[in-house]
Amino acid sequence: MYDSPKTGTAVDQKDIKITARKVQVYYGDTHAIKDVDVQIEDKTVTAFIGPSGCGKSTFLRCINRMNDTIDICRVEGDILLDGEDIYDKRVDPVQLRAKVGMVFQKPNPFPKSIYDNIAYGPRIHGLAKNKAELDEIVEKSLRRGAIWNEVKDRLHAPGTGLSGGQQQRLCIARAVATEPEVLLMDEPCSALDPIATGQVEELIDELRENFSVVIVTHSMQQAARVSQKTAFFHLGNLVEYGETSQIFTNPKDPRTESYITGRIG
Amino acid sequence: MSASIIVLIVLALAAVGFFVGRARALATAGGEIRRLHSLPGYYGYNVLIWTVVPALLVLILWLVAQPMLIENRVKSMIPEDAYADSGALSLIMSDVRRVADGLDMAVAQGVIGAGEAESIGPDDIRDRLAGVGVALGSDVSESTLAAAQRYRAMNATGTMIRSVVILLIAAAGFGMAYMRTGADFRARNSVEKVSLGLLIGAASIAILTTVGIVLSLVFNTIEFFKLYPASEFFFGLTWSPSFGGGSELGILPLFWGTFYISLIALAVAVPIGLFAAVYLSEYASPKVRAVAKPLLEVLAGIPTIVYGLFALLTVGPLLVDIFGRDGAIGVNWMSGGTAVMTAGLVMGIMLIPFVSSLSDDIINAVPQAMRDGSLGLGATRSETIKQVVLPAALPGIVGAILLAASRAIGETMIVVLGAGAAAKLSMNPFDAMTTVTAKIVSQLTGDADFASPEALVAFALGMTLFVITLGLNIFALWIVRKYREQYE
Repeated sequence: MYDSPKTGTAVDQKDIKITARKVQVYYGDTHAIKDVDVQIEDKTVTAFIGPSGCGKSTFLRCINRMNDTIDICRVEGDILLDGEDIYDKRVDPVQLRAKVGMVFQKPNPFPKSIYDNIAYGPRIHGLAKNKAELDEIVEKSLRRGAIWNEVKDRLHAPGTGLSGGQQQRLCIARAVATEPEVLLMDEPCSALDPIATGQVEELIDELRENFSVVIVTHSMQQAARVSQKTAFFHLGNLVEYGETSQIFTNPKDPRTESYITGRIG
Repeated sequence: MSASIIVLIVLALAAVGFFVGRARALATAGGEIRRLHSLPGYYGYNVLIWTVVPALLVLILWLVAQPMLIENRVKSMIPEDAYADSGALSLIMSDVRRVADGLDMAVAQGVIGAGEAESIGPDDIRDRLAGVGVALGSDVSESTLAAAQRYRAMNATGTMIRSVVILLIAAAGFGMAYMRTGADFRARNSVEKVSLGLLIGAASIAILTTVGIVLSLVFNTIEFFKLYPASEFFFGLTWSPSFGGGSELGILPLFWGTFYISLIALAVAVPIGLFAAVYLSEYASPKVRAVAKPLLEVLAGIPTIVYGLFALLTVGPLLVDIFGRDGAIGVNWMSGGTAVMTAGLVMGIMLIPFVSSLSDDIINAVPQAMRDGSLGLGATRSETIKQVVLPAALPGIVGAILLAASRAIGETMIVVLGAGAAAKLSMNPFDAMTTVTAKIVSQLTGDADFASPEALVAFALGMTLFVITLGLNIFALWIVRKYREQYE
């Protein structure tokens, strides 16, 4: 399925960042992800859509091994990042997560200052040699998170005191600060109002220049607005994957069509 | 009629009231429950409450008030030249009650006729009462006997009036509630008002008790400060009570002992408890946690006297073997098993479950989203705990530690057995010292005159301790409240 859309010229120019082969995920006895094969491109926004419980978030969490923190979760198959198997025994999940950042559904700033929220990752990974460099990273990340102008005067105020939309952009800036190669976003706008959603979507589009972004969303309009590639999941299967424009205008699978037109979901 | 029989009658009436009220409510609605404002049971309960509550409240008041009134009336019958001061008067009054009780018993056993009890003379009463097993200390004076007879008569009248009044109130309550019962009467609201009153009552009993405890301390403390200068109490460096007088009652040595022992206890309990909590909440598998947590909490259920024995028999000698003369490390710091260190270590063990259990709950309350956020940035578990989870849980943990500190300050048994009884100002943790609570016990359990400063000092000590622990608790609550919402 993943190799079906070969038509667009944009696709051929880009490198493959993540390759998944025959991925299976089990929660205890439940078979949550079945035989997923997908290739995610670099410097592209890829959207995962599908009804609730279809496994799109689960699959997303496989890409940075966040599922390791769940005791009963078991992953089979291969996921390659730049050609290296991330489930290989030699791979340290902690280092992997530094390369594959994640933004969660609900904004979750730490109960620290805005500055410390951003500096958290760089400090852990030793990205800054001194205070001046750290200041620079913080400013750059906040600018990339499109929130610098709003918080530059109160960097030492608690991050939890910001509004919901600002908190989410702070979390995106925090994820960006560790210089990841891939940014995973699990319904980043579901707790935000339309204005904040608009700001975050704009931000996602800008992030595409530097990162490979994978976004899980319930809103098909959002998928259509921000992504170049779309994957439709249903009941743990990857039903269809291709150019966003093609998925939304000319879906090949009848299940995709019924979901997009609102008949299942 | 005795009070218990009245209560039984009122309860029986109330039970009848429940069924009658319920039946009447149903009858007014023509058997159609939907036309009633409330479920039929509420109408029953309404009648029941109106029958029981006012009657029993009056009964309780009556039981308190009647003896006081009668006592006052009878007191005036004793001639003033028969007693010198109020102490002697209360002795005579207890004689009066004793004679009256004796007469009651004699009448009940049929030794004396009811009429004879009213007219019996002071000469042979002692022998007659001895016959029914009531021993009177001395000869009964005429006025005492007369007072006793009057006491009996008034009691009998009072009890009779009481029975009538209570039963009337019960009946009136019953009648009123019954008359009001009807389809439109809001029985549910009325019953719920009463249950609200019950809840308020329970809450105020708890609060009033606290106030009562404080007041009982305050008066004795004021009494103490009349006899002993406050400045010497608070700033005196010597504690040497002597019941012959001329004692020095400085609180500082005791205070230092309390502080030192609590400090050692917390130095043991806080790290161990906190690390245990971190392990249990962040690392342990559910299986380990299910076993280990209750086991740890068993420590909290051990009576402190058992900890005291542990200190006295095991920890003390062990420490002497290490730090004492000819000990394992060749220093002669410790001369006996009872020492600040002994009590502090054992108290620390006692406090571990306190700190760990509270901290565990608090750490678990930190949202999973915080951990995910940190792990998602490539932090290890340990970094996540140190930099995100613990700071988020810190206010709660501080609260837990302060609560443990109040426990440590108030602990007595471990100190008595583990730290000795010598009030000393010393920096050596292997010296015997004592604490405020241990001294309160020893000051009150001696055979000192209760009005002497040596005994009254116990109340001043207690009051000081109360103020300090109260302050700590308020501080703990304040910290918890101030920082609680940070991650929400």
